[in-house]
Amino acid sequence: MSEIKPIAAGNNAAADTGEERDWAAAKAFFDSLKTRKPRPPKPQYAVTIAVSSRTLFDMTKERQIYEEEGVEKYVSHQQEHEDEPLKPGAAFPFVKALMTVNTRLRELYPDCEELFDIVLMTNNHAQVGVRLINSINHYDLTIERFCMTGGKSPIGYLKAYMTNLYLSKDSEKVQEAIEQGIAAATMFTPDTEVQLSDTQLRVAFDGDAVLFSDESEIIVKQHGLDTFFEHEKKYENKPLAQGPLKCFLEALGKLQRKFYARNERMSCPIRTYLVTARSAASSGARVLKTLRSWGLEVDEALFLAGAPKGPLLQKIRPHIFFDDQMFHIEGAKELGTIAAHVPYGIGQKYHKGKLIEQTPKK
Amino acid sequence: MNANIVLNPGVKQKDPSRALVIAVSSHAMFELGGELKLHLQKVKQEPEPKSTVKDNEPFREGIAFPFIKAVQQVNKKLLEKNANEMLLFDVILFSNDVSPASQSRVVNSALHYDLEIGRFCFCSDKDFAASLQSNHVKLFLSTDTDEVGKALKEGFPAALLYQQRGQGTTDTLRVLFSGDVLGFSDDMAHFLREQGFSEPQLQSISTAKGAMKEFATVIGEMRRRFGREGSPLCTCLVTVWTPRDACAGALKMLRGWGLEVDEAFCLAGAPQSPILAQIQPHILYDHGLHNARNVPAQC
Repeated sequence: MSEIKPIAAGNNAAADTGEERDWAAAKAFFDSLKTRKPRPPKPQYAVTIAVSSRTLFDMTKERQIYEEEGVEKYVSHQQEHEDEPLKPGAAFPFVKALMTVNTRLRELYPDCEELFDIVLMTNNHAQVGVRLINSINHYDLTIERFCMTGGKSPIGYLKAYMTNLYLSKDSEKVQEAIEQGIAAATMFTPDTEVQLSDTQLRVAFDGDAVLFSDESEIIVKQHGLDTFFEHEKKYENKPLAQGPLKCFLEALGKLQRKFYARNERMSCPIRTYLVTARSAASSGARVLKTLRSWGLEVDEALFLAGAPKGPLLQKIRPHIFFDDQMFHIEGAKELGTIAAHVPYGIGQKYHKGKLIEQTPKK
Repeated sequence: MNANIVLNPGVKQKDPSRALVIAVSSHAMFELGGELKLHLQKVKQEPEPKSTVKDNEPFREGIAFPFIKAVQQVNKKLLEKNANEMLLFDVILFSNDVSPASQSRVVNSALHYDLEIGRFCFCSDKDFAASLQSNHVKLFLSTDTDEVGKALKEGFPAALLYQQRGQGTTDTLRVLFSGDVLGFSDDMAHFLREQGFSEPQLQSISTAKGAMKEFATVIGEMRRRFGREGSPLCTCLVTVWTPRDACAGALKMLRGWGLEVDEAFCLAGAPQSPILAQIQPHILYDHGLHNARNVPAQC
């Protein structure tokens, strides 16, 4: 059983043989297809990325129709324009990069199931689904699995698909997913378009409250920077607790090692970055030691010591950048970086260092 | 033919030419307990064992209860929209192994729980298919995969009543169609042969598509009485083996028959049990392809 998946396999023998049979049947069917398209990997070994329809495609116009004219008009509109492919959305470059990695993995390991598995996870009505599938066909994306829940919450299905990462435009769903222990982030479309690598997947992570828990961030917010520095120095050798995206970094690392095993480290099509406001001198050591204690690596660790992240990200050009603070997301967006907000931890209650007035939930 | 039809005095009879008649196995509707043992041992001719239970004591609720409650909700909403609506669900209870003494207990149980069951059909094993036919039944439902398989073997459309968790869904009726059956093609037949399916089995899947069409068309008509949101009837499409284009094809096929499904899932070989556990359908219509694991040979 792969360590990529947090959920244990079923312990019902009959269900398992049934599952094996269904898997074998699907595999045989794909292998017999006249088109040479790659078949989807076995879910329990794959790194499953669930994307919503609005992150995969640009549906701003359609969304407006939904909000202003209601669901009936919205579905009719989508049906009328069924044969018009939708334009790419914020997660589109990320999905293409995942496909590139899969191609490279298949070259090195032809029968391997440890690949990226991209699933379309939408609460759209199934009738809208026809346009979504037509659009997927148009761009020749390898997305074979989907859930169109017709209005119901997709959270239960995320678990059923053993999802490793969920991307959506809806922050409430993302929050729910994180609460259920699934790595998730709300995607934002950058203000300008930037040329990204088409041979290497680049993923950038913030440190506190993304890879690590928000324990240290709480200290900054409540006691100030000086206390924070002292604390981090004192507890340098005590690993931080893990954050919501730690397991996703772990999954990426596992796939990276498959390339290293074949002497492909220099041309590895996955590159990971840590982009943190911590400074190398005072609080950086604890972060690196924590990663080491987890057996994880990042290819580049960038300590900004409080400087804005935007310009640095502009140089890196990640396909996705995860951060817990909207302030950093906005800064990244402005300079063309595809940013994804992780709604976790104490950072949600603050904006630019000031405590936000808590409006009561509706 | 030896069949005992009992009308439910508490329920207004529906017009079978317009209503959608669905037969449910009494084993699914109630926990028949001792009756089940009798059925398994096939001792119908033996004298009735001395029972300490009173004749009128109702049986305990069976797995089909959320189903019947949901059906009642659909009928209620249909009649609210149009008091003269004829396209309603007409549920009849089917038993081919209940002892005569327990037949009245079955009827009384239905009355006790105030279930909208139009009639009760008590027949013998060999008259099973003929009785379904003469009662204009469009679909036979059971929670028992063997019972479903048996009906399919006799050439009768049948589907599984899925066991929902907890109290089940009672305010919406959820009907699931298998996209693998709908998308059945020569390509699929070829690979199914390699999986060990026989020619008669493949023939029966091909025929099943026709039966599914009939049922889907009526469900589609019912579904159209309601809007996209807040409908008491919800339809789902699931493909387990075939790729996304086959699922899209099934969506369009159903739409062509007048049924615009609400939810669609393409598994492409991913484990289906956890997904089904989320979908929580009442009716799982897949011709035994996945769940009965017992596709019948065409007779």
